Amino acid sequence: MMDYVLSLILFIPLIGAALTLLFTKSRESARMVAFVSSAISFVLTIMIYLQFESGLAFLEFQFTDKIPWMDYMGISYYLGVDGVSMPLILLNAILCPLTIVYAWGENKLPNQFFALILVLQAGVFGVFMALDFFLFYIFWELTLIPLYFLISIWGGPNKDYAAIKFFIYTHVASLVMVLGIFALYFSTGVNTFEIPVLLQAFSDIADPEMRVGIFLALFFGFLVKMPTVPFHTWLPDAHVEAPTAGSVLLAGVLLKMGGYGLFRVLLPMMEGLGPYRENIVTLMAVLAVVSILYATFLALAQKDLKKMVAYSSVAHMGYVMLGAAAFNYMSVSGAMFQQFSHGLITAVLFMSVGVIQHSVHTRIIPDLGGLADRMPKLAFLMMCGFMASLGLPAMSGFIAEFMVLTGSYLTLPVYALLAMLGIVATAGYHLWALQRAMFGSYNEKLGEPHDLANFELIPMAILVLLIILFGVYPGSVMEMFEYASKIIPGVMI
Amino acid sequence: MNYIELASQFAPELILTIGALAIMMIGLFLANSQKKVLGYLATIFLAVAGLVIVCRGIYDIQIEGILADSLTIDPMSQFFKLTFLVVSLIVVIASIKEYDGHQNQDEYYTLILLGTIGMMVVASAIDIVTMFIGFELASLSTYALAGFNKKDSNSLEAAVKYFIVGALSSTLLLFGLSYIYGMSGGLTNISELAVFFNSNPTVLQSPMGVVALMLIVAGFGFKMALVPFHMWAPDTYQGAPTVISALLAAGSKKMAFVAAFRILLVAMIAIKIDIAMVFMILAIITMTLGNVVALSQRSLKRMLAYSSVAQAGYISMVFVVMSPEALTGGILYVMSHAFMKTGAFIAVAALGYMLLKENSNAKDVDHLDNFAGLGKRSPFLAFSIMIFLFALAGIPPTAGFVSKFILFYSVLKGGFLLLVIFAILNSALSLYYYARVVKYMYVLPPSSDEKLKVPGAYALAILLAIIGVLAIGIVPEPFVNWAANAANVLGL
Repeated sequence: MMDYVLSLILFIPLIGAALTLLFTKSRESARMVAFVSSAISFVLTIMIYLQFESGLAFLEFQFTDKIPWMDYMGISYYLGVDGVSMPLILLNAILCPLTIVYAWGENKLPNQFFALILVLQAGVFGVFMALDFFLFYIFWELTLIPLYFLISIWGGPNKDYAAIKFFIYTHVASLVMVLGIFALYFSTGVNTFEIPVLLQAFSDIADPEMRVGIFLALFFGFLVKMPTVPFHTWLPDAHVEAPTAGSVLLAGVLLKMGGYGLFRVLLPMMEGLGPYRENIVTLMAVLAVVSILYATFLALAQKDLKKMVAYSSVAHMGYVMLGAAAFNYMSVSGAMFQQFSHGLITAVLFMSVGVIQHSVHTRIIPDLGGLADRMPKLAFLMMCGFMASLGLPAMSGFIAEFMVLTGSYLTLPVYALLAMLGIVATAGYHLWALQRAMFGSYNEKLGEPHDLANFELIPMAILVLLIILFGVYPGSVMEMFEYASKIIPGVMI
Repeated sequence: MNYIELASQFAPELILTIGALAIMMIGLFLANSQKKVLGYLATIFLAVAGLVIVCRGIYDIQIEGILADSLTIDPMSQFFKLTFLVVSLIVVIASIKEYDGHQNQDEYYTLILLGTIGMMVVASAIDIVTMFIGFELASLSTYALAGFNKKDSNSLEAAVKYFIVGALSSTLLLFGLSYIYGMSGGLTNISELAVFFNSNPTVLQSPMGVVALMLIVAGFGFKMALVPFHMWAPDTYQGAPTVISALLAAGSKKMAFVAAFRILLVAMIAIKIDIAMVFMILAIITMTLGNVVALSQRSLKRMLAYSSVAQAGYISMVFVVMSPEALTGGILYVMSHAFMKTGAFIAVAALGYMLLKENSNAKDVDHLDNFAGLGKRSPFLAFSIMIFLFALAGIPPTAGFVSKFILFYSVLKGGFLLLVIFAILNSALSLYYYARVVKYMYVLPPSSDEKLKVPGAYALAILLAIIGVLAIGIVPEPFVNWAANAANVLGL
């Protein structure tokens, strides 16, 4: 069974999606089928997670599953995991069932809604597991379609614009990425699309300009997905209009695909960049710092709570980029951990915003006030989420950002110091928003809000527990990341 | 000459000829209400012809020099013949419902079968005169079919435009080919022409050669609907009966590609650089204009017509790259496009049929507004249209993605970075208007809550097309190998 366990994890949500879409008539059965299929995936993921062994060489994978597909071009169905992808697969496996539980009360077309969430989950699993660029691209694109529908059917007032902007923006970026993949494939001449083979062959490409071109094309694809300023403008629109479940998955796992691309594909290429490496590192560091500072200040200025959280996502993904650019063992593993931790934290934030929107029908910060009085459970969990997001020690976000900043200080001291300025403002906008929205005297115009329902409380509480757990004891997730970043060729230890 | 052997080699064409004549004769004795039977007959004849082709072998069959070296049977001809047969089959199945009870069904099915024979002759021809005759057979049948709804002025306008432009382009083509004939001293066989031009490369660069090339490119340009020779296509596809638009876009237009592959890539390979230059410009303006104009269309048939123009632009990149890989991609694209476009047009036809049945005075049944809320009114139809449109946009896992992938890959391999960038940008642009239809179907509220029931014949036709789109998308290997075999025939 271990030979095809990854395929099982990948296809069970897809089968669940088909069942949900075609055979469930009521909301109750739809959400149950959806939850069960993502829960099975979760159990299987835990199983391989426990059996996972760190200690393999660079670009060696476990639980591989390989079937030739199009020999003509050297394309195969090839899955596998290593320390870079394993924790992210775990993150996806955790977030999706929780999102389904959170959306337990969805009334509008519930069978389609849950089916799309499952397709999204399968697509993200596929991206994290695929070891063939063709397959990788298929899953990369597959994630667009369910989210497009989630936004354009269940979204807010301006959903059409947001959905199409999201779709086209990220599709163009993926097409540029495909150009990079093609160029890599042709210039190495290995006649296979297998990611490990192509990565190893990258430094054999004779023309250094070609290598930089390939790197930049792939980089652009990942950059837009993460997203990094100045290519971030699709994200706030998509978040503001998306339903809460869509936002949770978008920020929680979809953005992580971009960061995953950095670690899986681009960092192993760093060695091969030759004389241009310095320039590329500078480019990445500048983009990272601009993302952190610019998005942080934008977040400070937002009136819409959800938009604020969206910009905070951009800023937090900036740390991922900064850690990758610094390219030493500590910063890279910190950046990887930041991806994992931010996935958990941002889910809590979006869920909190979703609850507020649902019970008082507005997310505009100045219109809120004193919600803690009437919604104590929400206030507690939301505060935990906000504290984690601003990097309070003993929460997972602190460890990640601490490692990224310490690591970056070793190789990119100026950029690390600039990024630290962002931390101050980050604490600022989180606390300020919390103070205006949750504390103070209750704004009576908001009516009588209800506190968290159980199906909202449970996933949020689980996430907060996980955030604290990983904050106190990063444990095996961190070990996997540390090992995975240690073996990248050329990384500073 | 051994007639038995000849008959066995041309069994598929003969079966269709017999079918066409039989349908015409039987139709004389049937009342209008019984003429539905003719549709079943045509379906059977097309299916049998297809089976015969498959049984003869499609991968590595090679029979040359048939009928004084005017026809050949090779993987390429088999590939295209099967594509045309499948398109006609899907169209005929859908027509059974569309023209149920119509008094001229006998002519209708006869013309479809004759048109299919013409396309199959073109796929087989290696002699420019035989090819031209096949062209004319297919064209004359489809001119009549385009105007088949003779009480509908749009259909008539479509037919007249199609006829005039078609006749003009045939003339241009014939004129160009006659120059070739004269310059080569009376050669009509494509491989002999290739030998002649390779040993006398200056002939094609003489003023007369240049004129001949221009005439041929313009002739093919009209047939393939490349910009600036495309003006007829949107009007014709929009005005013609929708099922016939499927046949025109997926069948007769693609016939021009197989002919052009043989003439431009084999006979005139001596001037490949000049051809590549011309087609580079044509391909770029064709895909760009097709997609940009498609953006603003509100009529779905017209939008599909412009998308068809754009897709022809992608396929014509083959004439720029001229590598076996590019040809493989182009050939596979033709087949994928056959399934996607036929499916899309048939699905639009099905909706039109159902709306007209609801309200016989309905106008512009293919207007985008009629697709609002289709996801609720007919989940099957909406879902299949979504698959076809995403396939046309090149989203995995569909045929459109695989063929676009292979085609773009080969163009990049040929070193035409600029061309690929144009193609990719266009591909992204096209997503906008395809996704808009999907948005209408799934996001906007329906105009009425009444469920629409797709008639069985349409459903079957749509299902066949979906199977094709997904089969090529999910298990591409056999199709790619087949297309590669077909491409090898030309020996680029």
